[in-house]
Amino acid sequence: MREQLLRLWERLSWTWAPRSEREAGEAIVQNLWLHWFPAKIARRSMSWNYSFYLGVASASLFLILTVTGFLLMLFYVPATGQAYGDMKDLQFAVSFGWWLRNQHRWAAHGMVLVVYLHMARVFFTGAYRGQRFLNWIIGVVLLLATLLLSFTGYLLPWDQLALWAVTVGTNIAREGPVVGETIRYLLLGGTEIGQNALLRFYVLHVFILPVAVWILFGYHMWRVRKDGGLAAIETLRLGRRAEPKPVPTTKSYSLFGLTRGATVQVLSSTDMEEQDQGFSSPELTRRIALVFLLVFNITLLLSLLSNAPLEEAANPALTPNPAKAPWYFLWLQELVASTTVSIGSYRISGGLIGGIVVPGILLGVLGVWPLFDRSPQSCEGVWFARERRWQNITFAAITVVIVLLIAVGLGVRGPYWRLYWPGQPWPQMPRGL
Amino acid sequence: MKGRESFESRDFPWLVILSVGFFALVALAFWREYHSEWAPLEKRFKQILEQHGQIEDSRRFSLGIRQIWNPELGVVDRCITCHLGYDWGSVLPANLKEPFTPHSPLPYLEKHPFARFGCTVCHGGQGWATEQTAAHSGGEHWDDPMISKELAASYGLSVGQMVQMRCNFCHRHDLSTPGMDEINLAKKLIKQKKCMICHTIEGKGGMVGPELTFHADKSPELFDFSHVSGDKTMFNWDYQHLMDPGKVSPGTTMPTFGFKPEEARALTLLLLSWKHLTFPPQYIPSPIEVAPLMVVHVPAEAPIIPGAEDGRKIFQTRGCNQCHTIGSGKLIGPDLIGVGGRHPVEWLRSWLADPAAMIRANPDLAKWPDLFGGIVMPNQNLAPAEISAVIAYLQKL
Repeated sequence: MREQLLRLWERLSWTWAPRSEREAGEAIVQNLWLHWFPAKIARRSMSWNYSFYLGVASASLFLILTVTGFLLMLFYVPATGQAYGDMKDLQFAVSFGWWLRNQHRWAAHGMVLVVYLHMARVFFTGAYRGQRFLNWIIGVVLLLATLLLSFTGYLLPWDQLALWAVTVGTNIAREGPVVGETIRYLLLGGTEIGQNALLRFYVLHVFILPVAVWILFGYHMWRVRKDGGLAAIETLRLGRRAEPKPVPTTKSYSLFGLTRGATVQVLSSTDMEEQDQGFSSPELTRRIALVFLLVFNITLLLSLLSNAPLEEAANPALTPNPAKAPWYFLWLQELVASTTVSIGSYRISGGLIGGIVVPGILLGVLGVWPLFDRSPQSCEGVWFARERRWQNITFAAITVVIVLLIAVGLGVRGPYWRLYWPGQPWPQMPRGL
Repeated sequence: MKGRESFESRDFPWLVILSVGFFALVALAFWREYHSEWAPLEKRFKQILEQHGQIEDSRRFSLGIRQIWNPELGVVDRCITCHLGYDWGSVLPANLKEPFTPHSPLPYLEKHPFARFGCTVCHGGQGWATEQTAAHSGGEHWDDPMISKELAASYGLSVGQMVQMRCNFCHRHDLSTPGMDEINLAKKLIKQKKCMICHTIEGKGGMVGPELTFHADKSPELFDFSHVSGDKTMFNWDYQHLMDPGKVSPGTTMPTFGFKPEEARALTLLLLSWKHLTFPPQYIPSPIEVAPLMVVHVPAEAPIIPGAEDGRKIFQTRGCNQCHTIGSGKLIGPDLIGVGGRHPVEWLRSWLADPAAMIRANPDLAKWPDLFGGIVMPNQNLAPAEISAVIAYLQKL
C-alpha cells in the first residue's frame, strides 16, 4: 500500500523536479501542464531583468481572479434587489467573504496595472517586430479585454460607486459617432442602468470576457513559441546564425516550432551554446512559482490592510458629488471634463473628443505601431535601444500624461469637480441627519 | 549543469522566503476571520446567563452570528449578535450594561414583536454589520444612521422623540397614534396652520410652495445651505426654515408662523418621515383615525374689470387667491370684497410693499395678525408698478 502510494507520488511529481538532464527534457513531453514550454530556454529569456515576468504576473493575477471569482459567484445574485445585500453578507457574515472580495478587487486593480506594464515592457524592448506583430495585436486586445472585465465588474456590487462610475463610463460611450447610442443601448439592455444592465454586465463579467481572455491567453502563449520565444534571444541569434547546423539525428519535440525556411534547418535557440540555456523544468517553472507566490502574497497583504470599497446602495435619484469613473478611466474623464466647452448657455460636450477620439486614436496607433517602427533589427529585444529613442520617449511621455491625469482625477478632484489640494479639506456636503 | 545550479542557488532562498510569507499571510487571514468583535461578547453572555440561573439556556447557547431576518420588510438585523439581552427582560436585570441591556418593555412591542420587525425599523443603523462602528454610525457609507442619544441630542431631542420620525414611515396616515406625541403635534399643526393652502401633499393642496409628499427623499444637495447655521443637514434646514423662512430662503413667500422650537422640531420630524417606501399590505397599519385631506377652497375667478386687468393677473398668478376670497368670506386672510373702500390708496400701497414692516410701524396694527391665526401676510416682493396695478384691481372690487 505504502509502496503503491509512493510510486503514484513519484509518477505525479518527477516532471516537476527532474533529477537529470534526460528527465528534464522528458518532463516537458510527459506533462500536460509543461508541454507548452520548450525543453530548453535561453537563460536571457528567463532572466528577471529582461521581462520582469510581467506576463507571468498578469496570468497569475488572472488565475487568482478566476478562482476568487468562481467562489464569489456562489454568494452573488445579479439582481438589483439582492446584489447589494450579497455584498454586505460577504463583508460581514460569509466566512472569509472579505478575503474573497478584497483579493478579487485588489487582483483586478493589479491586473489592469500589470498588463499595461507588460505592454510597456514589450514596447520599450521593441519586441513586437516582424513575426511578433500578430502577438502584439493580440496583446492589445487582451489589454482591452482586461479593462472591460474590470469595468463590467465595477457595476456588480450595485452601490453608488458602481452605479455612477458606470453611468459616467456609458455616457462617454454614448458620445461615439453614429453607433454610440446603439452601443450604449446594447451594453445596458435599455436606456437606463437597471436590472437588464446588471444582468448583461454580469454575463459579460463571469462568462463572455473571461472565456475570451483565457482563449486569447492560450493563443498568446502559443504564438510566443511559434515566434521563437522571447525577443530577448534575437541579439544572441543575430550573432550566431552564420553557421546553420545540420538537423540532429534525434529530434526533439521542442524543435518543431523553431524551424524556418524551406529546408529543415535549425536556426533557433539550439544554435546557442550549452551555457546560454536552461531547462524549462525546473528552472522556469520555479521562477513562475516565485512570481505567482509574490503576486498572491501582495494581493493578500493588500486585502488584509484595506477593504474593497462599498458605498451606499445604488440610488439613481441621488448623484454622489463628485461622481468618478474607475481609476483607469479617470484620465478619460479628465479629458472629457477639460474639453467640455461652455459658451453662454450652450455646452459642447467633450465626450466625443476626450472620450472617443483621443482614446480611439491612441488605441489605433498603438495597434499598428509595429508597422511604422523602422529601426534596425538589432533593436529587437533590447531595452531602450538608441535607435528607438524617440519612440520610447513618446510612449513614456503619453504614459506620464495619463498617470498625471489619473492622479489629478483621483487625488485632487473634489465636489463639483473643483480642485482640492491634498490636505485642503473638502467642503461639508449636505446630508439627511 | 553549472548554470542550472546557479539558477537554483539564486532562486531557492526566495522560494523559501515567499513560501514562508504565504503561510504567514494565510495564518493572518485566519486570525482576522476568527478574531471577531462579537465572539468574546457572546462568551461573556453565556456566563451571564449561567450567573442568572439559566443553566439550560446557557448550555444550549452556541457561538455564531445571529440575525433577525424578515425579507418582507427587508430586515437583516445582526444587531442581536452582540445585543444579546434584548429579549431577556423577564430574567436579566434592566440595569445590565450594554450591549446586554434588555429592551425596555414598551407597550407597542406587543404589536411590533422583535422577531418580525427587528431593530433597525425603529432604531436605524446598518443591520447587516457585525462590527460596532459599521453598525452604529454606519461608517462613512451608510445613509441611514442609527438614532443614538448623541444624534438626537444634537437636535435637542431624546431618542424616544426622534425615533417617532421612523414610526411615521408606516403610520403616516394616522391622524394621531398613541405614543407618537411629536408626530401627533406636527399633524395637528399641519391642519391648524393650513399648510396645504400652499403645499401639495399626496396630490391635494396648493401650488404656491413646493410639494411635500416625499420631502425626505429630496436630495439635500438641491437645498441652499448658505443661510443655515450648524451642520449641513436636512434636519437643520427644515427646522431653521420653519422657524424663520425668510432667513433661510430670502425672498420666500412662506409666512413666519411663529412656531415654538418644539413645534418646529415636531414638524421637522414629520417632514423627514415623508419618504417613498413600500410595504407589504399586511404591514400597513390600519389607521386609528384617518387624517382627512383638507378640502381646499379655491375661490371662483374674479370678474374681469377693464383697466385693472394687469392687477387681476398678478392677483391670480402670485397666489393671492389662495388666502383671500372675493365675496366668499374669510379664508386665511380677509375677504377682499370692497377693500378699496375700507383702506385709502396709500395704506394699501404701504401694506402691499411690506406687510410686516407696516405692522411694526403702526402699533394699532399689532393685534391684526391675531384675527388671522397669527399669520402675517408674506411679502410678495411686488414692484411699484405691480403694486399700482393690484391697487387698481382691488379698488374695483
